[in-house]
Amino acid sequence: MPTDEPLASSPSSAGTPGPARRRPGESHARAWHGTGWGFVVKLVIMAAINAVGLAIVWSAYVEGSWGILAGTLALTVAANWVYFSKRSLPSKYLFPGLAFLLIFQLFTMAYTFNVAMTNYGTGHNSTQEQAVDALLIQNERAVEGAETYPLTVLQRDGEIGFALLADGQVLVGDAETALAAEPQATVDGDSVTAVPGWDVVDRATLLGDQSLQQQVLDLRVPVSDDSDDGSIRTREGTRGTVYQSTLDWDPQADTLTDTETGVVYVARDDGRFVADDGSALPVGWQVYVGFDNFVRGFTDTNYAGPFWRITAWTFAFAILTVATSFLMGLWMAVVFNDARIRGRKVMRMLFILPYAFPAFLSALLWRGMLNANPDYGIINNLFFFGARIEWLSDPWLAKLAIILVNLWLSFPYWFLVCTGALQSLPNDVLEAARIDGASRWRTWTTITPPLLLISTAPLIIAAFAFNFNNFTIIYMLTEGRPRFTDTSAVLGHTDILITMIYQISGVAGGRADYGLASALSIIVFLVVGVISAFAFRRTRKLEEIL
Amino acid sequence: MRNTTMWLAPVAAVVLLAACGGGDDADGAAAAPTEDAAAESGDDEPDDETDNAPAASGSLTIWVDENREPAVATAAEAFTDETGVTVELVQKNFEDIRADFLAQVPTGEGPDITVGAHDWLGSLIINGVVDSVDLGATADEFEDVAIEALTYDGQLYGLPYALESVGLVRNVELAPDPTPETFDEMIDEGQAIGTSLPFVINTNGTTGDAYTYYAFQTSFGAPVFVQNPDGSYTNDIGMGGDAGFEFAEWLGENGMSGTGLFSTDWTIDIADQEFADGNAPYTVAGPWAIATFVDAGIEVTVDPIPSAGGETAAPFVGVQGFFVSAQSDNALLAADFLTNYVATPEAMRALHDADPRIPAMSAVAQDVADDPVVAGFLAAAQNGAPMPSIPEMADVWEHWNAAQSAIISGSAEPEAAWEKMLADIEATLGG
Amino acid sequence: MATTTQAAPARVAARPAPGRRRRWLVDVAWKYPVAILLVFYAAFPLAYVLSAAVASSGTLTGSTELFRSVSTANVTALGETQFWRWMANTLIIAGSTAVGSVLMGAAAAYAFSRFRFTGRRGGLTALLIIQMFPQMLAFISIFLLLLALGNVVPVLGLNSKLALICVYLGGALGTNTFLMYGFFNTIPREIDEAAKIDGATHAQTYWTIIVRLVTPILAVVALLSFVGPFGDFILARIILTSERNWTLAVGMYAWVSDQLNANWGLFAAGAVIASLPILALFLFLQKYIVGGLTAGSVKG
Repeated sequence: MPTDEPLASSPSSAGTPGPARRRPGESHARAWHGTGWGFVVKLVIMAAINAVGLAIVWSAYVEGSWGILAGTLALTVAANWVYFSKRSLPSKYLFPGLAFLLIFQLFTMAYTFNVAMTNYGTGHNSTQEQAVDALLIQNERAVEGAETYPLTVLQRDGEIGFALLADGQVLVGDAETALAAEPQATVDGDSVTAVPGWDVVDRATLLGDQSLQQQVLDLRVPVSDDSDDGSIRTREGTRGTVYQSTLDWDPQADTLTDTETGVVYVARDDGRFVADDGSALPVGWQVYVGFDNFVRGFTDTNYAGPFWRITAWTFAFAILTVATSFLMGLWMAVVFNDARIRGRKVMRMLFILPYAFPAFLSALLWRGMLNANPDYGIINNLFFFGARIEWLSDPWLAKLAIILVNLWLSFPYWFLVCTGALQSLPNDVLEAARIDGASRWRTWTTITPPLLLISTAPLIIAAFAFNFNNFTIIYMLTEGRPRFTDTSAVLGHTDILITMIYQISGVAGGRADYGLASALSIIVFLVVGVISAFAFRRTRKLEEIL
Repeated sequence: MRNTTMWLAPVAAVVLLAACGGGDDADGAAAAPTEDAAAESGDDEPDDETDNAPAASGSLTIWVDENREPAVATAAEAFTDETGVTVELVQKNFEDIRADFLAQVPTGEGPDITVGAHDWLGSLIINGVVDSVDLGATADEFEDVAIEALTYDGQLYGLPYALESVGLVRNVELAPDPTPETFDEMIDEGQAIGTSLPFVINTNGTTGDAYTYYAFQTSFGAPVFVQNPDGSYTNDIGMGGDAGFEFAEWLGENGMSGTGLFSTDWTIDIADQEFADGNAPYTVAGPWAIATFVDAGIEVTVDPIPSAGGETAAPFVGVQGFFVSAQSDNALLAADFLTNYVATPEAMRALHDADPRIPAMSAVAQDVADDPVVAGFLAAAQNGAPMPSIPEMADVWEHWNAAQSAIISGSAEPEAAWEKMLADIEATLGG
Repeated sequence: MATTTQAAPARVAARPAPGRRRRWLVDVAWKYPVAILLVFYAAFPLAYVLSAAVASSGTLTGSTELFRSVSTANVTALGETQFWRWMANTLIIAGSTAVGSVLMGAAAAYAFSRFRFTGRRGGLTALLIIQMFPQMLAFISIFLLLLALGNVVPVLGLNSKLALICVYLGGALGTNTFLMYGFFNTIPREIDEAAKIDGATHAQTYWTIIVRLVTPILAVVALLSFVGPFGDFILARIILTSERNWTLAVGMYAWVSDQLNANWGLFAAGAVIASLPILALFLFLQKYIVGGLTAGSVKG
């Protein structure tokens, strides 16, 4: 970070408070009594933040990135206001986290919505200008059987030309003048060393000058006055070949014309060049398509059937997996939360093992262990007496396998959480229950669970949301298989919504459709968000409103 | 007093900024890779810290993967010595390059040159991110199949450097004689040898692996797409018709509810392990598996894949090459580097030594073909046809793999499964 | 393990009271075999990984025999890859994320727990719900955001560890705030009041009194936030574009993601080593964590 900015020189425009150092606010004057060091540290930090903020604003100004400039300015101003004003005590504590949340979470969500409004994806990958570039590249070819000639780059008055060595004679030309013999030129071996009226550009000069390179690449020297003969072009500045271009770009009319067939391709609103007969050129570009993607997400018949089944399984999976692992963790916590047991530390350590391993590794591992053939799959071999059980290729067993593997992955987390929660149960309640003569069993079944649920409910909901989008386990364990046999969409019995979106987005290969994928992810987010919000309202009734 | 605020969080933030920002400046700029090249390949290039701004002296950014990095670094060094142009190598995971290239070229962040596989070509073309390449007369020095693979619609888009295909790998100790010409004879051999399996092949578990089985499919005369006389692919599916159904029947007969020669229990792991343990004399595998077998103490050799349907068994040939970005600001340097410094026998040999695949340059391929394994794979590849690079190919795999897996496991009737696959592919391509 | 289980009953059994002994059998004794079963369940699949890590051949699940061969070849081979660099990257990223998450989460939880302001309940709920947006699918926007940021502030661009840390911190508030909020509520407000009467500012109260009382939950959140970057390979792969900046998850996944060329032996050895920092951290934090999580304030 450049810190050559004078430290306390925040902009006194835009209603920002002046430099902290020079602000004789009485509240701060008071702060110098007592523990003033806290305030001094605050000043130093705020100065640093302002310096950093200003540095970013400055370089954003230089780069012309107005969005970043505005964002940084707003955040810097907000930081100063939050930490120097007397009001808004809570925001002093919330600000750092919220700043990150705003930039890296909310902004990306908004931007995803923006992508959802476009046709970004395979074939619509960039701007129209780049699409035209690519089409021109693809339709300019070396003429069949054309020779390659040694070539030298020439320069005069900022113009460039080519000198070619063909059959012992030197041919010279530039963009306007077709190649013509130049008997006065001197030749040394394969290279032309001097041409009257031109400066010969040596290789080192060419390689060191990027703009000259672009000029050389863009230069087409007509072979003759007849444009059908093609023109000389070089790729690396030492060899020239006759090329023919079959597409003609007209920026005014926004059209590309095929010079061989005469077909005119017109730029359309959907980001493609289309001819009258409906044929389109292969490269398109990004355009805004409004809510088309959202509509498609709901109406594409290919996905409509599987969509509801996948939605149902997604909910079933998220609910079941959280329920099973929570109950198992809770039960273990209850059983081993007992001071009379020796070696509890070691036990905890061993119980936590599955949690210490990266989840995607564990899923891959289980995939191998669940191989149906008992010679290869250790689970069938050891625990099912060598029977052949199709863990991953039967729709129901595959679902069961996913839940069991996820149980293994997440019970340590709940074991930890519940162990902690149990130890902090309010003793007076349990005491009161005992005095009232409740058996231990009664206490366990009727008093403890509600108490535990209150503290763990938010975590249960969070875990539900996490598993709702638990891409890793599905992708690594089954990839959504076994496939549905009644649809041509590449989806299967164990796909959840997020893996379905991933499949559609084509990130993995196939035709990518980022616009549709973004629209679907927003739809899924709305669904899970609404459900979670509803769940929170319910738990709030459990909890005492403070 | 009441106003003295909580200050530690921002302190931490600043400290974090300082710690991460100050500790390793190179990480910040996307243009750090010069260091990579120097650090990892141990060469003493001048460390020009470029700052995303076009360097005045010209510079090239090349994406390579770990295996190829040293060889490309050697060529880059020669280039730098002669031209003074700095070359930055960015190490990436080969699997990620395609997606990253598609995403980054339009933003101007992408490389000038990248290593890649020929079957990406279709998507690189329709996304408009790849520049054409002109090898001129040098093109004749490469294997035809390699140039063919990197040619799209009559235009060459990359510089090939290596080929790969699967071949029939034989355990010399168990099966000293050359592999028979037909599949049935090979199985008879294998059963006579008396190992627990006569033959093993990767099916990628229940996913299905049409790639590894492809040579058997072509031996029935059912290529994935119909080919033009010049070897390029049309977008008409070639798997329909009698030949395709014959192949499906054959898969079913030898699947788990038939003779049991094929099994969906076999993943790449398991197939390699069975062969490496000496439980099968024959397998179909690629050059990448050879090291596993040799490490396990198996003496292997490679033969062409035997025919199951009477015609030549033609496996897919994959070609690795170098692509130039359509948005490169240094296209001239890139072309110069590729045609004059990489398309040379020395550089091609170095690439082969770094990453032992079959060289795409014919002369180099002949040089290294005294190794029976390389010679075997080369022969297998010369039988083969390049994997289609048309964009439609990406939509075929899933359906194709799934149909084969269902037929082999016996969970679907061959004819019905094949019918459904064809219908699904039509639906996907039409949609 | 075994010694503990055998020694324990002996020592407890030495206690005289016969009634208590029967009670011990009913209450405690059966828990040891159960514990052994559970440990087996937890650790058994990992025996597989360990077996592959020390095997001389390179497959993970190719057979049902464990520990057929023992060699250190895979661990040695790790030295020839960038494994240790990735390990360092991961520790830096995970460590910074953990520290940042704890600081921000604790501050936010304090605000939610101690202050009354408009939008408090809604804010809490919104925080958790915003976290439910699948960041994985926002990768396009994250990529473009960092691209733009990188042009202005190079240290926040693509391929920077700091940028990845910031993205992780963007998600630091959600569940962490919730976890801590419940715990903060269990600290009686009388403590704050007393401090206030003594003339402490709210900042002094927070830093000198409250933070010390909630150490357990800070430890838990630190652990959870530390584990996150160890397992995330999607965001990390998008942001860290060059191999030398990768985290362990990205790098090790690259070893096995190539279906035909998977290097399982290396992967397994790496995974075993990669889990050690997490276990070490857990050991270190265990005393805080147990008894660390607690119910929201329930007035009995």
